[in-house]
Amino acid sequence: MKGIFYLAWRYLAYNRWKTSILVGSIMLIIYLPVGLNVVVEESGEHLMARAEATPLLVGAKGSPLELVLNSLYFSLETPELMDYAAASSIIESGLAKAIPLYVRFRSREQPIVGTSIEYFGFRDLQLASGRLPALLGECVLGAAAALELGVAVGDSVVSSPETAFDLAGIYPLKMSVVGLLAPNFTPDDDAIFIDVKTAWVIEGLGHGHQDLARPEAASAVLRRSEDGIVANASVVQFNEISESNIDTFHFHGDLGGYPLTAVVAVPNDQKSGVILMGRYVDGEAQSQIIRPNDVVDDLLDTILTIQQFIVAAVIIVAIATIATAALVFLLSLRLRRREIDTIGKIGGGRWQVASMLLTEVVIVLILGSSLALGLTVLTWRYGSTIIERFVLT
Amino acid sequence: MIDIEDLQFHYADGDFRLDIPRLKVNQGERVAVVGPSGSGKTTLLNLIAGIARPQSGRISTGATDLLALDDGKVRDFRIENIGLVFQEFELLEYLDVLDNVLLPYRINNSLRLDTTVVQRARDLLDSVGIGDKHDRHPEHLSQGEKQRAAVCRALLVKPPLLLADEPTGNLDPMNKDRVLDILLAYASDNGATLVTVTHDRNLLDRFERIVDFEQFLGHGPGH
Amino acid sequence: MRAGFGLLLMSMMLACTPESSRESALTTETASSGTLSIYTVNYPLAYMADRIVGSRGDVSFPAPPDVDPATWSPGPETIIDYQQADLILLNGAGYAAWVTNASLPRSRLVDTTARIADRLIPIESSVTHSHGPTGDHSHSGTAFTTWLDLEIAIEQARAVLDALVRTRPKHEEEFRQAFTDLEAEFRDIDTKLVAATKRLDSQPVLFSHPVYQYFERRYKVNGYAVHWEPDALPVTALWVQLKAVLREHPAKIMIWESDPLPETRRRLMELGIVSVVMRPGGNKPAEGDLLDLLQKGIAALEGATKI
Repeated sequence: MKGIFYLAWRYLAYNRWKTSILVGSIMLIIYLPVGLNVVVEESGEHLMARAEATPLLVGAKGSPLELVLNSLYFSLETPELMDYAAASSIIESGLAKAIPLYVRFRSREQPIVGTSIEYFGFRDLQLASGRLPALLGECVLGAAAALELGVAVGDSVVSSPETAFDLAGIYPLKMSVVGLLAPNFTPDDDAIFIDVKTAWVIEGLGHGHQDLARPEAASAVLRRSEDGIVANASVVQFNEISESNIDTFHFHGDLGGYPLTAVVAVPNDQKSGVILMGRYVDGEAQSQIIRPNDVVDDLLDTILTIQQFIVAAVIIVAIATIATAALVFLLSLRLRRREIDTIGKIGGGRWQVASMLLTEVVIVLILGSSLALGLTVLTWRYGSTIIERFVLT
Repeated sequence: MIDIEDLQFHYADGDFRLDIPRLKVNQGERVAVVGPSGSGKTTLLNLIAGIARPQSGRISTGATDLLALDDGKVRDFRIENIGLVFQEFELLEYLDVLDNVLLPYRINNSLRLDTTVVQRARDLLDSVGIGDKHDRHPEHLSQGEKQRAAVCRALLVKPPLLLADEPTGNLDPMNKDRVLDILLAYASDNGATLVTVTHDRNLLDRFERIVDFEQFLGHGPGH
Repeated sequence: MRAGFGLLLMSMMLACTPESSRESALTTETASSGTLSIYTVNYPLAYMADRIVGSRGDVSFPAPPDVDPATWSPGPETIIDYQQADLILLNGAGYAAWVTNASLPRSRLVDTTARIADRLIPIESSVTHSHGPTGDHSHSGTAFTTWLDLEIAIEQARAVLDALVRTRPKHEEEFRQAFTDLEAEFRDIDTKLVAATKRLDSQPVLFSHPVYQYFERRYKVNGYAVHWEPDALPVTALWVQLKAVLREHPAKIMIWESDPLPETRRRLMELGIVSVVMRPGGNKPAEGDLLDLLQKGIAALEGATKI
């Protein structure tokens, strides 16, 4: 048997292109439906775990899926904005803890998540170094974000402008990195976390500027009187919040009207959750409340349906591929007639020849299956990360 | 060594018939078989080797009556006792020279491949002047080198009987002599029987005996 | 070849073992039982919280003793301490501006004047400017020494009580009793302040700084605020300004948030103005507590109105 295996292996190795194509075809036939299933299952579990960990999500009326994708996976698409007052109203109701989210800005490819300090405990995020944000302008990075941006505690990151030409709009803000999170294997790893008020500063809703009483600010002063100092639009605004200028930072108007993309509501108990949801049932309500679980469930159902179609298509292709491979094999037998005759003449029996040919087929199947298994294992390990990084965000 | 009596053979389509009333080859004889094309010389070698079975008659090689054995035993007998050399060399392109020489040991369970055999194969290749090409594939050899490799394959099992079908048919004059030298030297050194089919009249004087297939034409029911 | 492939397969399998190393737990979440940790932004709130929570909690007010908590800015490490607290008591009314620029857990913040926002006193600030998408705007603010109106102080204490009951409902009775005791003492002070200020009989009064708005409104004091530092001798221009003020507002008493210099006191006496110290008590006094402070202020005022 060793001799037969050796001959079969030498044949396959010599005809490496043909062997590679056959192995590749077998690999794909097996991997596509299996790998797809693994991706869908793994991603589904991952998505669902994240959704299950988020009891309720409040947002402006609109697409629930967009709200979930932006709030849980920090997708690029920003949902309709809502007022910060919604978060206050949830807290004041005493029914739930409210964690604001403002996920709109980026620093290069990393999402900037404006939130409150309670987010870290809610998501059970652990610090690898440094500390949590304490002041305006400070940020904490997820493990992958820190790696991607090449920063450590003590460095800084800059928010990216939304457009190059909106000079009066969102401008870059330099933020100090005060902490790095340990890997969490969730979208939090890719995020830059700041206080929601820092996000408002990025948007220009909060700002700090020169002390108009100082001589350096003279050009910004229109007039001085007993009632005060009137400044003009040339007053210098700071694009970095530091110890020396943080006291100049302020917000105008009622913070309740400031924007959020969502509020995570963590009900005190089931009854509180039901009552809270009831408050948003009214068609006149400006906001919607959703269970991320339900939204992700619907999404997974859709993915499953698509998956079934793909698997059916793959099975049809697989049948065609197997038939083609069988034809190729039979044709190659005709081409190998002389070789088979030679082996027969020298002393190899029909059984030996058949074993050799069968062994070639088995080796191809084993190689193809093994590669498919290897790919499946890799998919199981990294598939959901790829989905999150390249599909959801 | 070879004893044939009243041998009658025809192929399934019935167009060709071979009829040999009597043919005997002694142990150690070096015999050339000549005759017109299509007269059945190759068929004779196939019958002696047990590759084909006659419809009637008796054929024995050594002390073995091949017709009394089943196919499996015939194959075992052939691989252990008969070395075959073909006109078209019949090397497997996907094996290197050494593996081609070792082929009999890989395709039949009755032979055991070990390091001694491998060394013997290497020595054979050295002896025919292609020891340095043991790791090349047939496509990288000249015609003469291919046939020498095929001869080494035939000689590896130390067969008492060598059957060569036009072994020099595709070779240039220098390689013809070289290959024939190897076959004849082996037969002479080992007391082996050599039966060679050849069209080349220039080589006949190197053989002890010449069997002319003309004598068998016109025999049998169709003649 | 076969061995190599087997190794490759095995290493792929091994590489797939998920990592599960965890650092020590980080959380801004706090325990739901045990001693409460309470942080405040000023001393009066610390006093109220301490009186109500009793042995069920530890109250912290980490501002250094020599700073005005209204304008104090804690460093990041101190803010981290605030983040860990079970409750963070805010004065509201814009007191402790640092809170706006700090990251604090919203669910544990208690704005003790949120429910009486309609009773807060707005003040206009000094800077009007025009920039950004919103156009003209000015920095308006709110008077923040709310506890100097003892009725508001009681409401602030009530907000502290409600927060404590929400956080530790099993000690509600204990907290309520402590609040009742505190409320009674605040009412007593309030009554005394009413009586003491009644003796002013709407006489004009000066304030060294504009920090007595709530006191002025509650106790119907006819006051005018200047900007005089107790530990600095006012310059000539300030005296000139004062004389101009006195022409419209002939005050005989000036209320200071801490002891003025003797020279200042003397020169004020020359103008017929008696200096009275009524410490607002934003920070912890060197001796005594909030009630002692208020009592001393009442005594000083009474002493001045007898003259």
